[in-house]
Amino acid sequence: MKKNKTRLFMTVLATAMGCAFLIVLASVGFGLQKSIVDKVVGDRLVTAIDVYGIASEDGVDRQIDEKGIAYLRSVDRVKAVTYRNNVRQTIRSTVDGVAVTPGKVINVDFAAETAAGFGLSAGRLPQADDEVVIGYYSRMPAEGFKPGDEPPSAEEWLGKTMSMEASQFETDGTERKKSFSVKIVGIAAKPSREWQLDNSTYVGNAAMGNIESFTGTQWGEQRIAPDKENPEGYEPPGLQDPRQYSEIQVIAEGARHVKEIAEQIRGQGYFVHSVADELDQINLVFLIMKIGLVFVGTIAVLIASIGIYNTMTMAVTERAQDIGIMKAIGAHPSAIRRIFLLESAMIGVLGAIIGTAVAYVISMAVNAGLPLIIEGFMDEKVPQDFRFSFIPGYLAALSSLISLAVALLSGSRPARRATRIDVLRALRRDL
Amino acid sequence: MIEMIQVSHRFVIGKKGRERVVPVLHDIDLHVEKGEIVAIVGRSGSGKSTLLNLMSGYIHPTSGTIRVAGQAVTGLSEGDWANFRLAHLGFMFQSFQLIPSMTAFENAELPLVLKGIDVAERKKRVMALLHQVGVAEYAGHYPGELSGGQQQRVSVARALMLNPPIVLADEPTGSLDSDNERQLLALIRELNRELGITFVLITHDEQVAATAHRTIALKDGYLLNAPRKGETHSYEIQ
Repeated sequence: MKKNKTRLFMTVLATAMGCAFLIVLASVGFGLQKSIVDKVVGDRLVTAIDVYGIASEDGVDRQIDEKGIAYLRSVDRVKAVTYRNNVRQTIRSTVDGVAVTPGKVINVDFAAETAAGFGLSAGRLPQADDEVVIGYYSRMPAEGFKPGDEPPSAEEWLGKTMSMEASQFETDGTERKKSFSVKIVGIAAKPSREWQLDNSTYVGNAAMGNIESFTGTQWGEQRIAPDKENPEGYEPPGLQDPRQYSEIQVIAEGARHVKEIAEQIRGQGYFVHSVADELDQINLVFLIMKIGLVFVGTIAVLIASIGIYNTMTMAVTERAQDIGIMKAIGAHPSAIRRIFLLESAMIGVLGAIIGTAVAYVISMAVNAGLPLIIEGFMDEKVPQDFRFSFIPGYLAALSSLISLAVALLSGSRPARRATRIDVLRALRRDL
Repeated sequence: MIEMIQVSHRFVIGKKGRERVVPVLHDIDLHVEKGEIVAIVGRSGSGKSTLLNLMSGYIHPTSGTIRVAGQAVTGLSEGDWANFRLAHLGFMFQSFQLIPSMTAFENAELPLVLKGIDVAERKKRVMALLHQVGVAEYAGHYPGELSGGQQQRVSVARALMLNPPIVLADEPTGSLDSDNERQLLALIRELNRELGITFVLITHDEQVAATAHRTIALKDGYLLNAPRKGETHSYEIQ
């Protein structure tokens, strides 16, 4: 091997190119799958089942009552049931006298959210009654903010007291106001979509109860202002009325249980949807596509194997005398075979390492360059976060394994030939 | 130490369908005792190298039995022969048979590598033996950078690396000048005396034959004489 470095280099290069081609080709399948799956999944969990409502005599009830929540919790393999109920009035919040970006105040069950995996960018989930989580974009400047800009960090508000002011119109038309003090302990995760600006405040059941006690209505709903028309005499539901929950999600213990849970709930008249339903189909299509791409890519590695075979055959021919000497003094045939198999393996490993590195570089270049080319020449805009090529660790590992296996396979015949070299002919330099 | 009973060997030459059988050795009965230096002499084509190749396991006899170091080796497989050679035999060749791409150190080290000895132990043993045969200072040199005498000393070091009880030498002085030949024969006598190594030397050099305890002569594949250790020489180099 040391003798002919150029030949060795060219063989390793061919193997590296084969390996890189295999990875890059398959990475397109992985990239498209990831982009499409990410688009389908969005911020949702693959273990989540959305419950939209329940069949009723007059159609579909969009909201589920407490009995329904209790049922959903009782289903086997359900890890948690989460809900999100908006406080039905605008709450004005301030921190140190600075206005918090106006947004929804949402009541969640933090115990269930902990089990479901509420995404935080900083801090922790509430543990005490007066603790809250605020949205990632809760501290946006009053003006001049554009989607895509990075807002001032809300992390500086962690541990600070936030004043939340609720109001209610009395039956006589007068407006009462009350401030509640809560402690900010967590900042919600940054939404994956550029256009999503989460400036909600997430409050637990205790804080929600405080607001409701003040308003005397469910979900802190404000009565209609005296200066607004109320021809039907609408009165918000009171605290004693049956409670309705919205945005319900059932979280399964694992992705493989999603289907059975969804079926069971559906059987009880609930209208449900899970990302897993869509993903099954998408993933199957992509699995077939990826297998096809890996197969085509493997052909490139097989072509490179011709080079390895040639190099190893030449190496055996050139070193026939050396092999003869080694056999003459007692080298076991398996030791001779091992020497040549190790050399082919070395070509395979070097090729795989270089090929994988090159593939990662190409992948990054494609992801960075292709959107620019498409935008520049075809006047089409590539969706945000779209990836043409994605190389998961196991693809690199699989390709390296294929390269190594092909290299060993190519070296096995020359290695076997080496073991059959005749000692006497070799010693006579007759080969 | 080496026993050959009614060993015959013939080569089959020529292309398929037109093969010709060439008998080389006929009914050889030979005994080499432990600690002997035995010289096998004879003209070119007498079959002496074939005899050594049979003892080495490079070829297998057409008929007869061979025992080396107390073990019947006639039916050994190639792999078993390799293990046997490594454990019991050392080899010296006329053209030294050093691997040109390896240094003197690496050439001498080869049997230890094949035996799976660890690096530190290998370094210690190789340097000790290269020192003993007088070429330690050339350890980093390639065979092409050494004289014939130095190369043969490296090959002696390689042959003795695993302390074999038997060394088979095919024309060991054939490529050496008289000074180096004298020194090599002195080394062989010393190794035989001090370590009790059995040497079988193929030669047609009288000086080499004179080094041996006894000489065995071959002619046209027949053993002319095979005196036992202690008996007088009765041969004539032709």
